[in-house]
Amino acid sequence: MEWIHLYETWIWLGFAATGFAVLFNVPPRTLWVIFIMGALGGTLKLICLKLGINIILSSFMGAILIGFLSVVAAHLRHSPPFIFAIPAVIPMVPGAFTYRMMLVIIRLTGENDHTIFLQLLQETFDNGLKAFFVLTALSLGVAAPMLLSRNKSTKEIKPSKFLTKIFGSKKASD
Amino acid sequence: MVLSEKDKINELCEILLEVGALLMETGANTFRIRVTVMRIASAYGYHAELLITHRALMLTINNEESNQFFSRLMQTSTHRVNFKIVSGLSRMSWHIIEEKWDLEMVRNEIDRLKSVSHYPRIVTLLMVALAGASFCRLFGGEAIEMIVAFVASFIGLYVRQEAVKREFNPYLCIFSAAFVSSLISGATVYLHIGNNPEYAFATSVLYLIPGIPLINSLLDLLDGNILNGVVRGINGLTIALSIALGLLGAILIYNI
Repeated sequence: MEWIHLYETWIWLGFAATGFAVLFNVPPRTLWVIFIMGALGGTLKLICLKLGINIILSSFMGAILIGFLSVVAAHLRHSPPFIFAIPAVIPMVPGAFTYRMMLVIIRLTGENDHTIFLQLLQETFDNGLKAFFVLTALSLGVAAPMLLSRNKSTKEIKPSKFLTKIFGSKKASD
Repeated sequence: MVLSEKDKINELCEILLEVGALLMETGANTFRIRVTVMRIASAYGYHAELLITHRALMLTINNEESNQFFSRLMQTSTHRVNFKIVSGLSRMSWHIIEEKWDLEMVRNEIDRLKSVSHYPRIVTLLMVALAGASFCRLFGGEAIEMIVAFVASFIGLYVRQEAVKREFNPYLCIFSAAFVSSLISGATVYLHIGNNPEYAFATSVLYLIPGIPLINSLLDLLDGNILNGVVRGINGLTIALSIALGLLGAILIYNI
């Protein structure tokens, strides 16, 4: 079964996120949170892909989950939310698309045949656009809690009052 | 008294610039830099105006009561991601507001944060190599490919750390790391080891992907800091180009 495969996958997603977290030197107290967030976000993205949703929207779903979890985590562990969010979304960054685009561009420069050139050009645009839109989706997802709550600092976002805040009765924000 | 006021504004200005420069070097986005610096300034009763660029910060602070202005410029040094510092500075800005820290305490905290330790080198190498193996598994690789990706990431990151220590050009560091990694994983493609050696080849350089510059670039653009967003984006693309050139080297050597 394809779905059983997901049980194993989330562990690898978690390790990928934690590896980057260590590379970025996050405080040790946040490591296991990043493991869980990376695993959950990545799994959601993979589930969406399995359901037939395209890669851009799937990445957006995963990133939004990570964005909201990062606000909760920021309250629990007392660090700014993006400390959690960035290592957790990094496994979803379209690195493969970006360097495939670069490789094709390098091949483009040495190409004389017209049809092959057009083919390579098409590949460049395909990879480049996908990379750009996935990246936009990831940043939007990570920034979503901030954009929606119109707050300057996460400290003022109380997860329990979050929904009332988005839909904006002024009393709730006092 | 006038002198002490002058000294205070001087010291505050230096601290604010140092906080801003540290945040820029260690991978915070422009919005966070501005918010943190303004938060600290307002805690001391000053209003701050900031010009934030990749390589330098410009700050003017003024006190509306005494109508004094103070401007200064500071360059940022080499960019090196370190979220421990970002997190520490953000916590510090809240301590300043809530516990009314004086300037000397702030200065000590900044010095403490600057000397704060990294993870032991071997831990970083092992964890990043494990991340490389994980990526390989996610692409569909099996045990042999995962081991190849692990070794290639491990040695590649070691090369990068050594190159950074010797203060080579940052893009050259990334190029050499990508080249070494893909040389190792490319050997298994060349010798046909394992079922899908190209998975290991594709994932062995993923630890280099410019995730922070690219995400920060988009966050800056969204926030209206267009110039910083463009600068960070080009930086990210140049890193991607260095990785691609490193890969290209291995591809040309093995003729894959």
